[in-house]
Amino acid sequence: MDSSLAERLSPNQPLSELGSDEFAGLYQAHSREIYYLTLRLLGDTHKAEDATHDVFLKAYRKLNTFRGDSSHRTWLYRIAINHCSNLRQNWANRHLVTNVEECVWEGAASDGDSPLRVLEIKELGERIQKTLDRLSEEYRLLLLLVADEELSYEEIGTLTGQTPDAVRGKLHRARKMFAAMFEQHQ
Amino acid sequence: MKFMKQQKKFESREQQQVSETQSQQKTSSREFASVEELLRYDAKQTTVPPGIAQRLGQSLQKEPRPARSWWRRWFR
Repeated sequence: MDSSLAERLSPNQPLSELGSDEFAGLYQAHSREIYYLTLRLLGDTHKAEDATHDVFLKAYRKLNTFRGDSSHRTWLYRIAINHCSNLRQNWANRHLVTNVEECVWEGAASDGDSPLRVLEIKELGERIQKTLDRLSEEYRLLLLLVADEELSYEEIGTLTGQTPDAVRGKLHRARKMFAAMFEQHQ
Repeated sequence: MKFMKQQKKFESREQQQVSETQSQQKTSSREFASVEELLRYDAKQTTVPPGIAQRLGQSLQKEPRPARSWWRRWFR
């Protein structure tokens, strides 16, 4: 590892303070969408923290394989999707069940928000998670990806292994299912 | 399809006048035009825990420096 980078990455120093560094910049630019994706795919703040850490660590280890054929954003999404898919597969194999009610919402709002606002955000996030959990993995992933305005249908198709037209068709159904289920949780 | 969103909404001048005279009865609602909009709002409200960056910093200290990519070597 670059010694100057190592010095700047002291345990108590957040990456966000590393301004000019390329990898810190990558983290700063994309940690929010990667954390949000893992949170909503895994449904657990602690697992999402671990997953986000692991995704960026994998990205660091794979920096030499990034050729620039896709954007950093798409590249990180691909790592995150594969990582979450592997985790979910492992959990399914072990028959582990996550208690969504207890652990999903602890980190959903920032400390500076008023109590009422925190409650609102928690309730809304809770409804969103419950609704997403009732969708198929494919629909859940498509909705989360299309919510990122910077991703095109082509990029979503590449990430999910299908054509842009197939993405459009499935998204139409996914939106309808989400809307119907979301209303049920009201 | 209707999603609730916090925003003060006045649909007409008449409604606005009523709300001005009955300010105590003003209501706020949340309304989203699409699933994407709802999820974007949710994403915006989600804070990335600062502990991740700290853990990542610790982990990266233990990592060897990544090798230069073949295409960088090729073009330099």
